[in-house]
Amino acid sequence: MIDTAPQQTLETALDKIVAKDVNVFYGTFQAIKHASLTMKDQHVTALIGPSGCGKSTFIRALNRMHDLTPGARVEGTILLDGEDVYGPDADPVVIRHRIGMVFQRPNPFPKTIYENVVYGPRIHGERDKSKLDEIAERALRQAALWDEVKDRMQRSALDLSGGQQQRLCIARAVALNPEVILMDEPASALDPIATSKIEDLIGQLTDHYTVVIVTHSMQQAARISDFTAFFHLGEIVEVGPTSQIFTHPKEKRTEDYITGRFG
Amino acid sequence: MAITTARSARSVAANRSVRARKMADAIATAILWAMASSIIVMLAAFVLYMVYLGGQALTPSFIFGVPKETTAGGGVGPEIYNSFYILFLTLLFTVPIAVAAGVYIQEYARPGTFRNVVQFSAESLATVPSVVMGLFGLLVFVYLFKWKFTALGGALTLTLLNLPALMRVTQEALASVPDTLREASMALAGTKWQTITRVVLPSAIGRLTTGVVLIAGRIFGETAALIFTAGLSVPFNNPYDLNPMRPAETLAVHLWYTHSESIVPDVDRIGNGSALVLLIMVLIFNVAARVLGRQLTKRFTGRAS
Ligand SMILES: Nc1ncnc2c1ncn2[C@@H]1O[C@H](COP(=O)(O)OP(=O)(O)OP(=O)(O)O)[C@@H](O)[C@H]1O
Ligand SMILES: [Mg+2]
Repeated sequence: MIDTAPQQTLETALDKIVAKDVNVFYGTFQAIKHASLTMKDQHVTALIGPSGCGKSTFIRALNRMHDLTPGARVEGTILLDGEDVYGPDADPVVIRHRIGMVFQRPNPFPKTIYENVVYGPRIHGERDKSKLDEIAERALRQAALWDEVKDRMQRSALDLSGGQQQRLCIARAVALNPEVILMDEPASALDPIATSKIEDLIGQLTDHYTVVIVTHSMQQAARISDFTAFFHLGEIVEVGPTSQIFTHPKEKRTEDYITGRFG
Repeated sequence: MAITTARSARSVAANRSVRARKMADAIATAILWAMASSIIVMLAAFVLYMVYLGGQALTPSFIFGVPKETTAGGGVGPEIYNSFYILFLTLLFTVPIAVAAGVYIQEYARPGTFRNVVQFSAESLATVPSVVMGLFGLLVFVYLFKWKFTALGGALTLTLLNLPALMRVTQEALASVPDTLREASMALAGTKWQTITRVVLPSAIGRLTTGVVLIAGRIFGETAALIFTAGLSVPFNNPYDLNPMRPAETLAVHLWYTHSESIVPDVDRIGNGSALVLLIMVLIFNVAARVLGRQLTKRFTGRAS
């Protein structure tokens, strides 16, 4: 374990990512409207809300994944440690090095398990075989996958189960040692056992990382997150400490959603 | 009693309709099966007939010997060599251009005018009949450049002819790579170029190779475009010349030439033998395309298919 400052409390935590008045458009369709949200360092922020409300759209704005979508456009300000992610000097490659991402569906490369994990470090210039081995083992241990794959690192990643593939994708993201990890419903395709492994993992990740997670599961949000933001129709309706959102929501729409009255 | 009769009448009717449906299903299956099988039968019959016609001609002196102008007993060694030589030259020009263009269009170009114009040009080029392309080659390489009939002129003409198909093959191979893999690489802070060279191309290499080898088979058998450009002869004193600036009659052209112009007495033997060699080569290309594609996919992605 790397030595870090003692875990910051909810009140004293630093701002890691600050989104201010963010709008995202697909062509003329506005999918995110004036969203502002602060994501605290070394804490888990959960994004919840009904399907199609813009959670994925919002999270993808944070590491500039919309750059890849023709017709998508992001307005507003997103600060990472106070620096504008969309500023004229910002390099999307550097941003994505600092902000890793795990997608809704596991998307391992059609390569060996080993090659998947070391992909990031490799393309950033790490050539030393023993260093790469070390990184791979550390990342796979963090993703709770090491014991299952240590004897078959040279096998295709596509031969793993869905849950294993998703943990491999998490390992792959962790191997780059990012500061923030974005997770878009990482457990949506997984069984309860794999899900709980991933939830444990997220709990441990906050020792070093800031985590932003999209989830459809209220229980999951309640279990693992420190802050929760409720999205509805492209707007952030309410945001606050998770305990407060789930026990005393201020907005009627939030309450309706978390009590299952819609969505 | 009346009720029982009605009920059994109904069940008889139902039975009959079930039987009728099963019958229709069986007949349809049989017809479709027969159509599908007829393809196998046609190929087998064709190959066997060609073997029957050309089989005896396949002697070492035919396959490795040099052609004769007026007497019997000529071979097709230089023609086979030229076919491979022109194929090699053509692929040397075509593959880099087509793959680069395909990668640009598929991976870099945003939808818009330039992309549409390239796409439209490629499609138009693809519809040009090979004999017309041959005429173009004649006018440009033979007359305008004053090269006379050359292997290079032939190869360049075939390059024009096959660029669009190969570009399409590249595009399709790239399009078969899911976007989620591109996203994964970009999200790991890969650059576009790293994403293409390390994820997209390795994932597409199997399909790409299959496509290239299939097109190679077509180039190997191309005739019309070469008659006007690479000519109908092989260098007399050095039939296995490496120099691209000399006439280079290919096997397919030789087959055409034998039956239309040649005055050798054993026209049938040479013609049938050439046809059989050509056929065998092209079939080998077909098999090789599949095998190679599968091997490369496995090699580069650690997994079959
Ligand atoms: N590439 C795109 N082009 C056009 N519209 C899009 C695109 N991606 C998403 N949208 C639209 O933007 C809105 C928000 O979509 P988004 O995927 O962000 O929702 P979500 O909250 O992640 O939903 P889910 O929970 O189902 O994943 C939806 O109305 C969707 O149809
Ligand atoms: Mg989503």
